[in-house]
Amino acid sequence: MKRDSHRWKWILVSPALLVLILAASGPLLIVAVYSFLSPGNMGGVAWDFSTDAWFRVFFKRDIFEPENVTLNADHLAVFQRTIWLSLQTTVICAALGFPTAWFIATRPANRRMIWLFLITVPFWTNLLIRTFAIQEMIRNTGTLNTALLWLGVIGEPIEMMYTDFAVLLGMSYVFLPLMVLPLYAAMDKLDFRLVEAGYDLYASRFQVLRHVILPLVKPGFIAGSILVFIPSIGAYVTPRVLGGGRSMMMGNLIGLQFGQGRNWPLGSALAMVLLVIVVVALVFYLRITTRETGGRDGQS
Amino acid sequence: MRRPIPAERTKSLERQGRRRSTDGKGDRSLPDGDGQSGNEIEIEAVGKVFGQGDTAFHALSGIDLTIRTGEFFTLLGPSGCGKTTLLRVIAGFEHPTSGRLRIKGQDVVGQAPNQRLVNTVFQNYALFPHMTVAQNIGFGLKMLGRPRAEIAATTDEMMHLVKMEAMAARKPSELSGGQQQRVALARALAPRPRVLLLDEPLSALDLKLRKEMQTELKRLQVETGITFVFVTHDQEEALTMSDRLAVMNQGRILQLGSPHEIYHAPTERFVADFIGETNFLTLNVIAVQGRGADLALPGGRTIAARVAEGLTPAVGTTVSAVIRPEQARIVPQGTGELSATVEGAVFFGTDTHIHLRLSDGQPFTVRRQNNDDLADPAKGETVGLSLTPGALQVLRG
Repeated sequence: MKRDSHRWKWILVSPALLVLILAASGPLLIVAVYSFLSPGNMGGVAWDFSTDAWFRVFFKRDIFEPENVTLNADHLAVFQRTIWLSLQTTVICAALGFPTAWFIATRPANRRMIWLFLITVPFWTNLLIRTFAIQEMIRNTGTLNTALLWLGVIGEPIEMMYTDFAVLLGMSYVFLPLMVLPLYAAMDKLDFRLVEAGYDLYASRFQVLRHVILPLVKPGFIAGSILVFIPSIGAYVTPRVLGGGRSMMMGNLIGLQFGQGRNWPLGSALAMVLLVIVVVALVFYLRITTRETGGRDGQS
Repeated sequence: MRRPIPAERTKSLERQGRRRSTDGKGDRSLPDGDGQSGNEIEIEAVGKVFGQGDTAFHALSGIDLTIRTGEFFTLLGPSGCGKTTLLRVIAGFEHPTSGRLRIKGQDVVGQAPNQRLVNTVFQNYALFPHMTVAQNIGFGLKMLGRPRAEIAATTDEMMHLVKMEAMAARKPSELSGGQQQRVALARALAPRPRVLLLDEPLSALDLKLRKEMQTELKRLQVETGITFVFVTHDQEEALTMSDRLAVMNQGRILQLGSPHEIYHAPTERFVADFIGETNFLTLNVIAVQGRGADLALPGGRTIAARVAEGLTPAVGTTVSAVIRPEQARIVPQGTGELSATVEGAVFFGTDTHIHLRLSDGQPFTVRRQNNDDLADPAKGETVGLSLTPGALQVLRG
């Protein structure tokens, strides 16, 4: 009887497991294997073991003097920009998402669903189209510059396209709902009597925010930050359309190796580096955020 | 990390008579000011309306109330009567639509809760779940920017006061309901407020624990000398703990007085009905003299009754009068003021309720203490009733 129900559970879970194996673990394994092979002539891989791809992720040889090895500054700059832009995106989304989520959570219960619904409206349109729309707004002859020129605020167009700013703007816009929704979920559970208790015990508005509200919605910040940071690290469309070749991120660099570069092993090795960055960042982040709340003793 | 209190805030707190303890220990004597005889809270014609137009709800109307320094004052009434709204107005969470509110002579309408020297014990305690017991208790003092040593000393003292020393490092989720209750009390008492507001603090506890906490609360109030304003819908709780109480219904105060006055001399039908068990009698007025009246009882006898304040019944009219079930005794047939037929008896352990019908058909209940092993009167038997002299009270309306 008990064994039967156990078997049933395996049958029920098997479709999901199958998808996981085919769509996640399998491709990951293939990428890991490819990173240790040699590039094929017309793309693809040649089945010769090589660590050249991994070497080229971090170092480069001089074309004329192959024994002259230097750090691959171009790659490292892309890694650095990717991490830095993703961190900034996360912080911007948190800063904009907190008041937004607070606004929604403090509406009457029957109106909250309308506001939440509005938050999800951007998801209805394809990401690429939304990104091109941002381009239309900020390019030199775009809406924003034209308006500012016409108003006489500026003498010549502000160059915004193909800068880190453009990428940051695009990513913050795209990922903001991913911060708002978990923050709202945390605030929805917040007992507002605790806020009253804080005021009652002589806390100012700022002190209530700092000592009562922020610690209690912290799980929402943690979930939101993870949801924003991970896709930011792997962003492809936004930096491609708004950043171009000048403000490239890791997603674009990897894409390049599988396309024009025709170096699949290098692309695979870069993809593995991306994965490692995400995992390390996650572990590091969870360490700090849980250490603060984990302890029971000691007065702050 | 300590932050200086903004100058104006310190000033406003000191203006209200906050004592700043110098030795870091403080003392538990009465708050400063005009001593125990003064008025702590003065409420004048306070009204509170929620909503507007047709949907407007009058939560409070024309509340006049003076709460004295150092007393245990109770607001008693059924749910929705406005007692919690009145408490929230005193705390500063709600602003009155009309009227004036003074705490220690200072007008506080418009002041935020964190500017008032009033602390609240919330109905479901509202303890900060991310803080330990000690951090919860020290929160108010920390927000006031007190020195770390003073916070630690007061926190220890408060934990001792509510017997929670052993739990200092626990989180609220690791405490029982009664323990959370004690922490909530200690947290509200730690900043030494002038007034402690308690919003049905015992309603979530089981009966035995509630009895314990009633004694405990009364002890804390006497020990600290702080004015307690206690909100409850439990009439027994109100009678046993209060120095004075106000009975509220539909946003108004119906009667204000000592538990004794409220119980023995209710002025309104609602008050008499809400508190304890009561016999209502409809009787004719025969004569009126001063603060009393002579009423005609069924069966022809006459009885002297007290008349509620502000009421002058006219001779020949019918009035409503009350008498408590324990203020009547069953006597042999033919003696006593009344004659009644026994309809049944219910045994309650310490006493027995005997349900009767008077000769004119009005129901009447007698409570008899089971001191001796008395036999219950048989159903259908006719008995006499003797009423305690002066116990009958004529009601308004």
